Amino acid sequence: MAVIENNPLAYPVSPKANRGGLKAGQNRIGLLMLLPAALAFAAVILYPFLSALGLSLFEYTVVMMEPRYIGLQNFAKIATDADVWAAFWTTAIYVALTTAGTLVAGLGWALIMNQPFAGRGVLRSLSLLPWVLPSTVSAFIWGWIFNSRYGVLNAFLMELGVIDFPQAWLSTPQGAMLAVVLTKVWLSIPLFMSFFLAGLQSLDKEQIDAARVDGAGNWAVLRDHILPHLRPVLIIVVVLGVIGNLQQFDTVYALTGGGPVRATTVLSVEVYRRAFEQWDIGFASAVGVLWVCSLLPPAFFYLRMLVKGN
Amino acid sequence: MNVMKNMIGAAATALVLGAGAAKAADLSYMSFTYAEEPNKAAVQATLDDFNKAEKLTVEPLGFAWGDMQKNIFLRARSKTLPDIAQLSERWLPTFAALDNLVDLNTVYGKDKLEAAFAPDALAMGNIGGKQLALPLISGSIGMVANKEVLAKAGIADAPKTIEDFKKVMVAVRDKVPNSVPYTMATKNNGSILIDFMVWNWVHGGRIIDDSGKVVIDSKESRDALGFMVSLMKDRLAAPEIDRPDSRRLLAQGASAFYLDAPQTRTFLRDFSGKGEAFDANVLPMPTPVLKSGDKSVSVQWGHLLVQFANGGKAKATDPADKFLTYITSDPVQTTYTLKMSALPVTKSARSAVANDAYLKNWSAATGDARRNEVGIWSNAADLTNIIGEEVQGALLGQKSADDAIKSMQTRLTTSMEKAKKSE
Repeated sequence: MAVIENNPLAYPVSPKANRGGLKAGQNRIGLLMLLPAALAFAAVILYPFLSALGLSLFEYTVVMMEPRYIGLQNFAKIATDADVWAAFWTTAIYVALTTAGTLVAGLGWALIMNQPFAGRGVLRSLSLLPWVLPSTVSAFIWGWIFNSRYGVLNAFLMELGVIDFPQAWLSTPQGAMLAVVLTKVWLSIPLFMSFFLAGLQSLDKEQIDAARVDGAGNWAVLRDHILPHLRPVLIIVVVLGVIGNLQQFDTVYALTGGGPVRATTVLSVEVYRRAFEQWDIGFASAVGVLWVCSLLPPAFFYLRMLVKGN
Repeated sequence: MNVMKNMIGAAATALVLGAGAAKAADLSYMSFTYAEEPNKAAVQATLDDFNKAEKLTVEPLGFAWGDMQKNIFLRARSKTLPDIAQLSERWLPTFAALDNLVDLNTVYGKDKLEAAFAPDALAMGNIGGKQLALPLISGSIGMVANKEVLAKAGIADAPKTIEDFKKVMVAVRDKVPNSVPYTMATKNNGSILIDFMVWNWVHGGRIIDDSGKVVIDSKESRDALGFMVSLMKDRLAAPEIDRPDSRRLLAQGASAFYLDAPQTRTFLRDFSGKGEAFDANVLPMPTPVLKSGDKSVSVQWGHLLVQFANGGKAKATDPADKFLTYITSDPVQTTYTLKMSALPVTKSARSAVANDAYLKNWSAATGDARRNEVGIWSNAADLTNIIGEEVQGALLGQKSADDAIKSMQTRLTTSMEKAKKSE
């Protein structure tokens, strides 16, 4: 019978094994595997951000190919620039309306899709269509819906007798804002619906049945059972919605170009216009930095939730 | 480790091959006409003919008109500028500071260029005595009418004064259902600028004088904007109209008038679906004047070609310069420009096409073709946005014409002062 040697030093080991043991080796492999993602992050996110941060400290317009260092002057100019503050205000309105609208519509649609009925699977799949479509295509579709001459909306409202002649929706500040908000809500419903639907799958049906036996109506069931159950999902959806809507550019630019006048000029459009229509790269970078700062609180909140495992 | 080596080797090979592919053409040509579906074939044919004639290949880079300036600017930053780029004449001052823009007087000689090119066309590419661009096609932005729509409204002759113009538009509005009599630009600052500038000139106003002083705050400019606002109120013009919308509506018989360059004929042929048969409906006409006896006005217009080279140095034997020589030669100028429905830029080619009925009519309707008084400044993009926003605000009823003019004066003055400081 073989005798097991208790002294580990007696066993032959690889000379490489003394570099911190198995855990250190695993750590090294982990870091190596992280390297491609870290490089990609550095190339497509960190470098452009640091570059923009640097440019925000320079005066740099198309007529001067060499940037001139001016310190924080661009930020000082922002403080007195009414257009930038108007863009902040427009962004706040846009984010609030789109997030709230998507929340209500996404939850409502998820509740419908959670009910048993024939063709539910097909309808659930079709519900993902707005998510699949490129956002600029969606913007053009909505542009046609709101078009003053050929738009479906005008035709529909005139048919109902709500309006007597076609309205130029995209030419009024309120109409244009409504259009960009509806487009974004429509685009985001599938994502929100998926979150809520996943949450609803884990809801205890017996609890709902018991509540109904006790005489609870639909509103009471929603308020006292479904919403409390969905609370973690609601929080995460709101945070992600705020972040996504703060970043929104393509649908707004494709649909209204930030107009009429400046009615839908959100921060992303403002940065684009300053950089590529007014060729003031330094100032645009400074606005961009503030825009990123406005994204930090919801992003921090979201990361905190992830770290805490919620 | 071997895997890593293989990957690096493969990446290096791909880079070398990629660089080889990128260098496959002898020169690159960035063009917005190449990105326009109705015109792409004409550009491609020119590039193919150049290849046959000079045994040099051209890599065409098509970008939409609205994206050209942005692309040139970004490529200047990343040092990946094309050899040749097509510009709208009003963009040249914006890029005049690029240090690798070639002064073509140093390549071809000032005397030779002056001998070959029509003075008005050559002047579009000249800034401060430097020939920073050669003209490709030229013309003016003036009024175009749809004869068929006018006939439906019972109108036989084009209106001459703005009073007549309004009467004709009312007739079109009342007799042609679902029409927009005058598809004035009410969307897109760049398009709005042209319409406002023309009506401002018609009313005797100016935006910025030759010394760079903003002079928009005048009775004439108020009258001009008031006139445009009145067209909106009387439903003779409509919101949400950009130049492409105007072209489509006129081509579809839903509009009687709009402002455009002579190239409009090519677009109208395509958008009407009738091809050359639609030419019979296209009527270039003098822009209506304030009162009988005034001279009709239009805006000088053209496409330019700029060359980029290291240190702004080039010679006539370089592939890019051979391309410039070829594209401004008579065989190209007499065919390409006609396909584009525009005037050639050389003296000899203009003589050769002097009998083309459409171009003849266009020239006759041009009247006093003035240089774009905003496009000549380096901060043209900013000025355009300001004018576009203020005019649009007045047209959509968000502010009075008076307030818009006052605000324009303040904002334009600030922009001009800022631009002078930057220079």
